[in-house]
Amino acid sequence: MHILIIEDEKKTSSFLSKGLSESGYIVDTTENGDEGLLLALDIDYDLIILDVMLPSRDGWSVLSMLRHAGKQMPVLFLTARDAIQDRVKGLELGADDYLIKPFAFSELLARVRLLLRRAPPRCNETLKIADLEIEFERQKATRGGNRLDLTSKEFALLSLLMRRAGEVLSRTLIAEQVWDINFDSDTNVIDVAIRRLRSKIDDPFEKKLIHTVRGVGYLFEDR
Amino acid sequence: MKIDNAHQLKVTPGFRGWSIARQLAWLYALSASVMLIFASGFLYWVLITTLEKEDEQFLSSRVQVFDLILRAGNTEALEREISQENIGFSNSQYRAYSRILDESGRTLYEAHGMDREIPPAVFPDPNQLTGKAKKWRSTANRSYVLIAAQTGDNDTNRPKRLIHVALDETGEEILVSRYERYLIGVLLIGILVSAAVGIITAQRGMKPLADITRAAERITASQLHERIDVAQWPQELVSLARAFDAMLDRLEDSFSRLSQFSADLAHELRTPINNLRGEAEVALSKLRETNEYREILASSLEEYDRLSRMMDSLLFLARADSAQTMITSLTMDASTEIRKIIAFYEALAAEQNVSVICTGSGEMNADPILFRRVISNLLSNALHYTPVGGEITFSIRSMDGGIEVGCRDSGMGIAQEHLPKIFDRFYRISPSRNIKTEGAGLGLAIVKSIVDLHRGKIAVQSVVGQGTSVRLFFPA
Repeated sequence: MHILIIEDEKKTSSFLSKGLSESGYIVDTTENGDEGLLLALDIDYDLIILDVMLPSRDGWSVLSMLRHAGKQMPVLFLTARDAIQDRVKGLELGADDYLIKPFAFSELLARVRLLLRRAPPRCNETLKIADLEIEFERQKATRGGNRLDLTSKEFALLSLLMRRAGEVLSRTLIAEQVWDINFDSDTNVIDVAIRRLRSKIDDPFEKKLIHTVRGVGYLFEDR
Repeated sequence: MKIDNAHQLKVTPGFRGWSIARQLAWLYALSASVMLIFASGFLYWVLITTLEKEDEQFLSSRVQVFDLILRAGNTEALEREISQENIGFSNSQYRAYSRILDESGRTLYEAHGMDREIPPAVFPDPNQLTGKAKKWRSTANRSYVLIAAQTGDNDTNRPKRLIHVALDETGEEILVSRYERYLIGVLLIGILVSAAVGIITAQRGMKPLADITRAAERITASQLHERIDVAQWPQELVSLARAFDAMLDRLEDSFSRLSQFSADLAHELRTPINNLRGEAEVALSKLRETNEYREILASSLEEYDRLSRMMDSLLFLARADSAQTMITSLTMDASTEIRKIIAFYEALAAEQNVSVICTGSGEMNADPILFRRVISNLLSNALHYTPVGGEITFSIRSMDGGIEVGCRDSGMGIAQEHLPKIFDRFYRISPSRNIKTEGAGLGLAIVKSIVDLHRGKIAVQSVVGQGTSVRLFFPA
């Protein structure tokens, strides 16, 4: 997968490029809007990460030129401007997602994966990782053959973790996906919810499946 | 160019633009002048009409005397009457002259020298102007009032006679013109004096205003504790001074809150930056194990999160303050939104064994995301202060012109002295700043901002040991 980063702040561009490369993507970077536009028109990228405030040509303009030229690759906006009008403008111009600085890299990664996957997340009837199995249709989870007694929100949380197994999910993303809460709260609600889920699916078993990535979020993985 | 513009913009101030002292002085002088002019004009008129009436009465009484004598036919008496006319008052300014003419206009009797001074021709025709006096000025520049009367009828016993009486009123004229001069003098002086008195009174009257201005000028940001309402002000200014002092109270309060806010802000921002810096410095001071580095980086991430959350909250508050935030008001069901937030906090509430319920329902107009944030902040706060086994109740009630959302907990309560300040930024009831157990102290400030953005109202009641109740009112 080939990603173009158009970002004039060197440090940001460098950690994005490093993080994405390590996650297995091929990354090109450029620092100015004009050059970014030329590259994007020339090469068929799978995704463009675009800063709004850029020298020579701003992000809005790059996006509208791209769409005008018929390029339909997903574009993810990065910006320090979080006013609702700005978001609306970005999305109306044809951006596919919008991230406000400062953002968690894990969140950016999750969104990049979502955009690249494009197809809705797998909705198989059942999903099995290690000895943990969930049946989405019947809202039923078993581990090692034993039925797990989960509340509906716990089931939703486990479903999210299992569908995105191997990805570090930030607390913000979890709150948004499971509870539809789209603002940052100071509380440790997610931590408590994970702790309660763990007490049901991990604590009684030798093998732990839910892992904490300190300072970032949580990860479901069969290690 | 600029000067020209400024000149053009300068509008000559109308009466309303004048200083109050000037207005008062002018009005005072104007009213005093009008009164003076009216009073002296009236007196002048009274004097003139009285004099004229007296003159006319004198003349007509003379005519009556002559008429009586003529009826009696006593020519001797007539002659005596005419010749001795002014003897009794030889020094008098008022001299009367009389003349009797026959039908054909021939002079029968007349006062001495009258022929030269007042010829018969200047007298009015008695047939046209019966009883009417006429003013006339002689060649010797003396002023006379003349009257002519016809006596007798067609009866043969009484021949027709013409009576001419003239009254010298030169002295009267001198008196009147002197009176006029005095009157004008008095008027001018009166107007000047009243203007002066007006100016002095107005200036004296306005002096307390200048004093109050000076008192206000003394007060600066660093001396907000000074008050104006200590001097003996005139009644009109007492309320102004009080209002001013009340404003100073509010300003002082805002200033102290602001300086408290800056101190808190500095603390809140410095702490994480200090941690980050310190950890990084120590980490770089020598080579370390990989997991030590990981540990430091993870700890840094937590600090970054804390900083960025605080930044978000502060930005939100700043925007709400400048009212640039557009709120997208939608009609929504309050209980649905509240239940959603309760579901989010379910795990936390279950952990603390606190039951959270929502009663009532109602439609309301609000920004859903902002409203959820309000409920989330309230619930998070309530959970924080409610002990194990407690209860938190949200209640929704439709009211006149809006909806009331209440949040009551069975927590520890808030002491009265803290209540007015709990919506201040960074305000925390316990002075210890333990970030792990409490937020940055911005939660309730955000609640207030959001309620303000919706033009709503907020009220708190609390009893220590029994719990706190926050009531929010959202207008429809």
